[in-house]
Amino acid sequence: MPTSFSPPLSLAAIDVAVTYPNGLTALRDASFRLAGGTICALVGVNGSGKSTLFKALMGFVTPTTGRVEIDGRPVREAQKRSWVAYVPQAEEVDWTFPVSVHDVVMMGRYGYMNFLRIASAADRSAVETSLRRVGMWDYRDRQIGELSGGQKKRVFVARALAQAGRVILLDEPFTGVDVGTEEAIVSLLRELRDEGRLILVSTHNLGSVPEFCDQVVLINRTVLAYGPTSEVFTAENLTRAFGGALRLFDLAQSTVNDHDGRSVTVLTDDERPLVLGKRGHLEYLDRTGREQLMSDREEEQKGKS
Amino acid sequence: MFTSLLAPFHYDYMVTALWTSALIGGVCGLLSGFVTLKGWSLMGDALSHAVVPGVAIAYLLGLPFAVGAFTSGLLAAGAMAFVKMKTPVREDAVIGIVFTAFFALGLLLISLFPSRVDLKGIIFGNILGIATGDVVQVVIVSAVCLIVLALKWRDLMLFCFDPNQARALGLRVGALHVTLLLLLSATAVAALQAVGAMLVVAMLVTPGATAYLLTDRFSVMLRIGAALGAVTSFFGTYLSYFLDGATGGCIVSLQTLIFVAALLFAPKHGVFASRRILRRARAQEAVVP
Repeated sequence: MPTSFSPPLSLAAIDVAVTYPNGLTALRDASFRLAGGTICALVGVNGSGKSTLFKALMGFVTPTTGRVEIDGRPVREAQKRSWVAYVPQAEEVDWTFPVSVHDVVMMGRYGYMNFLRIASAADRSAVETSLRRVGMWDYRDRQIGELSGGQKKRVFVARALAQAGRVILLDEPFTGVDVGTEEAIVSLLRELRDEGRLILVSTHNLGSVPEFCDQVVLINRTVLAYGPTSEVFTAENLTRAFGGALRLFDLAQSTVNDHDGRSVTVLTDDERPLVLGKRGHLEYLDRTGREQLMSDREEEQKGKS
Repeated sequence: MFTSLLAPFHYDYMVTALWTSALIGGVCGLLSGFVTLKGWSLMGDALSHAVVPGVAIAYLLGLPFAVGAFTSGLLAAGAMAFVKMKTPVREDAVIGIVFTAFFALGLLLISLFPSRVDLKGIIFGNILGIATGDVVQVVIVSAVCLIVLALKWRDLMLFCFDPNQARALGLRVGALHVTLLLLLSATAVAALQAVGAMLVVAMLVTPGATAYLLTDRFSVMLRIGAALGAVTSFFGTYLSYFLDGATGGCIVSLQTLIFVAALLFAPKHGVFASRRILRRARAQEAVVP
């Protein structure tokens, strides 16, 4: 089904404020604008209003002031066109519910069905294509609780595909997922981006952001900064977003010494580390494909010294 | 011997009781799939008790009992939603407060007018003595529920499983919530006639819970639940003729027996099956070093 969406649609939050009935203002003056064909991370600590913004983008909460527009329309209209697809956090799903993998993916097609929600041949073929694309077709008759963490995630990505969502929102997609699956999901998300979809990922896993996100929206009760990852993901911005909530391992301050060409290795258990270089640059896991970046930095180095 | 087994079918009141209870049992069994998966069992219990004052008032005023019961059930549901929204009191406590308040009011009304309202009939049900007008009401309520469920069960399933997805697709989640609540109230009203306010919750939970143990497919679960509800209600009523015991007691005891059987022997989720699976896993571990 690899379709290409052109022109890519836009997503904009315009001065969004959300105040809950208990008086808590979770978010104020939040504005940003994105266009399709990008993977964007929504980054902030717990309580930063990240999930509130996420809910406002999906139309689960209505902004107290301001508005969200998808392709210039209100969210409700985008929903009716099945444009907004949602991949929930693993904890949000009732895995004991008696539905099969196939049933769940079919739930992405409801918007295309008639009043009785009876699946047509087109619905069935969309489900099959999506399940094959994430490599879960052989598991279609399994009850959803009988899957591994990564397989569960893929099923819900398949649902977003079956829905033909043009904006796909993923909530903490890498929690409880092994590294291999994380990479598989990332490469799938890249394909989806290249088809012109807008992929929005809510995450607190900083290290993975530079690896696969083109853009970042940084949140702390409002939108602190948004734009290309390399511009937004600076030590200064991250400190503003996270305050004291980050654990910092400063190599210069640390017992690591004798910088003589032997490498320093950083290991973490689950989440990728975010590494900022000596000049505050983002450091990436792999040099391949980043030759330009490497030579630019060498030039910069020469210029300074 | 054989003629005595057929004896109940010679009485018109028994024939009416048998098919009416089977109908109610079937509708409740169908809905019980949604109730158990949505986690609304306590809500079902609450609504079935909260309809009592409505039934009492309806009898006092000579109105159809279903109208009174339905109004009172909806008032209770509204009261619960209001208290929950306005206070930080937890949901189970809110439900407890509201339904006991309604039930107490009902008991009080009945005790004030003992000659005009049949307390025993409301609390324990009286399907063997059901009036023709009440049969008509039960049939109408059941028919409406069946039609709504036949048309909208897929939407309601999505609402129970993943309300966020329903919302993301632009479905009216609030309307689905209210629909399910209305269906629950309506079936509680119908079931009141068969098993009484005390046991309605069993009709709305046990068949669904049993079916849940027997299958991993929602559509199959609904069918099993409906079949179990209808069959147990039919035979419970039938048995109560011979035992000369409370019909509600017979029906719910039968349902519980089947639940226990499923709990033990269900092919995948039963106690014995789980043991078998564990044993096999251990044996495999022992082989693989």
